[in-house]
Amino acid sequence: MPEQTPADLLARQIASLGETFRTLSKATSLKDLAGRFCGFVQQHSGGSGVGLFHRPGGGEWQSLSPGTTDTTPRLPSIPEKDSFAVTPEDGGTRLLATQKLVDGSILGIAVAREPGSDTYTSDQIVSIRLSATLFDNAYQAYLHRHHEKELVFSLNHRLLQLNSLIDTGIEVAKLEQDVPPHQLALERAAALTNASMGSVTISRDGSVVDRITFPDALPADAPRSGESHIGAEFAFGGSTYLFELMNKESRKGVVPFEGTDKLLLDALSRQVQASLENRFLHQQSVEKEKMERDLAVAASIQQKILPETLPIIEGYDSAGINIPSKSVGGDYYDCIPLSDGRYALVIADVAGKGIPAALLVSTLHAYLSAYLESGMPLVDLSARLNRMIHRASTDDKFITAFFALLDPRTGSMETVNAGHNTVYWRRADGSVHELSLGGIPLGMLDMDLPYQSEKFTIGPGDRILLYTDGIPEAQNERNDLYESEVPLKDFFTRTVPDDAGTFIQQLIADVKRFTGNAPQADDITALYILRR
Amino acid sequence: MEQPFNLTSEINNSRLIITTSGYVNNVGGEAIAQEFQRHFADGVRQVIINLGQSKVVNSVGMSFLIEIIEHLNDANGRLVFTNLDPAVEKMLAIMGLFQFAGKENTVEDALVSLAGQA
Repeated sequence: MPEQTPADLLARQIASLGETFRTLSKATSLKDLAGRFCGFVQQHSGGSGVGLFHRPGGGEWQSLSPGTTDTTPRLPSIPEKDSFAVTPEDGGTRLLATQKLVDGSILGIAVAREPGSDTYTSDQIVSIRLSATLFDNAYQAYLHRHHEKELVFSLNHRLLQLNSLIDTGIEVAKLEQDVPPHQLALERAAALTNASMGSVTISRDGSVVDRITFPDALPADAPRSGESHIGAEFAFGGSTYLFELMNKESRKGVVPFEGTDKLLLDALSRQVQASLENRFLHQQSVEKEKMERDLAVAASIQQKILPETLPIIEGYDSAGINIPSKSVGGDYYDCIPLSDGRYALVIADVAGKGIPAALLVSTLHAYLSAYLESGMPLVDLSARLNRMIHRASTDDKFITAFFALLDPRTGSMETVNAGHNTVYWRRADGSVHELSLGGIPLGMLDMDLPYQSEKFTIGPGDRILLYTDGIPEAQNERNDLYESEVPLKDFFTRTVPDDAGTFIQQLIADVKRFTGNAPQADDITALYILRR
Repeated sequence: MEQPFNLTSEINNSRLIITTSGYVNNVGGEAIAQEFQRHFADGVRQVIINLGQSKVVNSVGMSFLIEIIEHLNDANGRLVFTNLDPAVEKMLAIMGLFQFAGKENTVEDALVSLAGQA
């Protein structure tokens, strides 16, 4: 075997050190590093025992190799301008060394040989120093890796926070979910900020109406202020929602909350607020949709009550119109042929609009149809209708109505005005009579108050106009009433076309001219009849 | 709401099965790590953690789980998470835990999976 040159020896030592460094660098913790280093030192120093100690900057010595004798009191101090110190003991068979590490902490090394063994040579002391330097380098690599891991963990955690913020926003925005949005947000906020616990308190008028906690129970000494407490608050629907998080955790114990924790809690609580508002709006929308469906059904029923066409009365011409202001109106008109050859003309206006008004119109229509065929006098019919409507309606609901029974063969007519607008009768000579005799509106009072009727005969060329208050009280954009500019009686008096349909068209056109773009505030209904 | 943290464990064919309930935070994570260390010292190298009843995990709790994964990987062992709530599963995925640990739907699936790797 060829003799090794010093260069070969050096190269082998360098290779060995390199291999050792790679082994040490794989350490996953300081103790792991110490364990690997002990084996290396023992092998290269010829010692029977190796003890390692570590003293963090400003801290106490800690043993990295449990079970070894505590020699830390005798470890040498490191000179200010050096990073290593060594002290031989026991006649040179024990070495106590200290190495300053990259982070300012100190590594203590105790190596010893069996009593009676050779003492450590200066070369071996140099070797110990080299080993200590190697430890420092490996320790530095370990710290870098540890720091890198912490950095990756921290970056991932920030990513997690952002991702969770988005996910939570989506989840709390769901209209159907198993847990209330504020509970979900509280759980997420606690997890993302590392809070030990938290709560959401819902108050109304200063009183707590609900409180949820995370976890289920909070200790009595949970902080309510200070750096171990953060809160976020919003108001919705008359209630105040207070989100609170307590005791931010770390591996070393409770630490103060950070600015980003407060930002996260604010953001999550705002998401809950938006979710509650969306739920409220959605609920309103659903209710509105349902109401519109109900109104559509009621409107359909209402339209079936109103006549599609009026009956043709020989020697007469009639026309009617109903323009509801809402989808379901409270106006009603009809011309009903009776079995005895007469016709019943009726117009009515229910106080109020919408479904309740439509129901009352429907009730009036049903009773009226039944009573008319019974042949009872018009005043009795009105009294009965008053009673029935009173029973069928609430106190604030009543119907103004005008009834007329026309015998077309003779032109004789009997009328009852139950609190309705004055009905106009224009005679062929141009004179106008007001038909207002009758009684109280139907359903207003059930006190057996009598109704009165008027009896008269209409001749050729005579005309009668029945209408509801939607015409005289139609308003323009300045809120002026149609009646104030065009008294209906005057319009009726001077407008005498050849047929009933034309009169209705002209009347509606004039009302529309007056109201312009103003919305229609009330139902418009009219019935016009002329004797040829 | 989340229950207080609780933990049970059992050994099944040399595999440690840890079942938790409640918030996996500092307290919960440390309890899991201690239970793991106790069995790791006895030579257990395959571990199943059933988080089915833990719907909330914070990053401190996760740091303990990462330590367990590192210990097992250094010892050629394996950790498998099971019964994960979707939100927890996403958290663990973002934190990179599934690069070094497995996940299965159930403990039974995990046992089959680990048996195939033994």
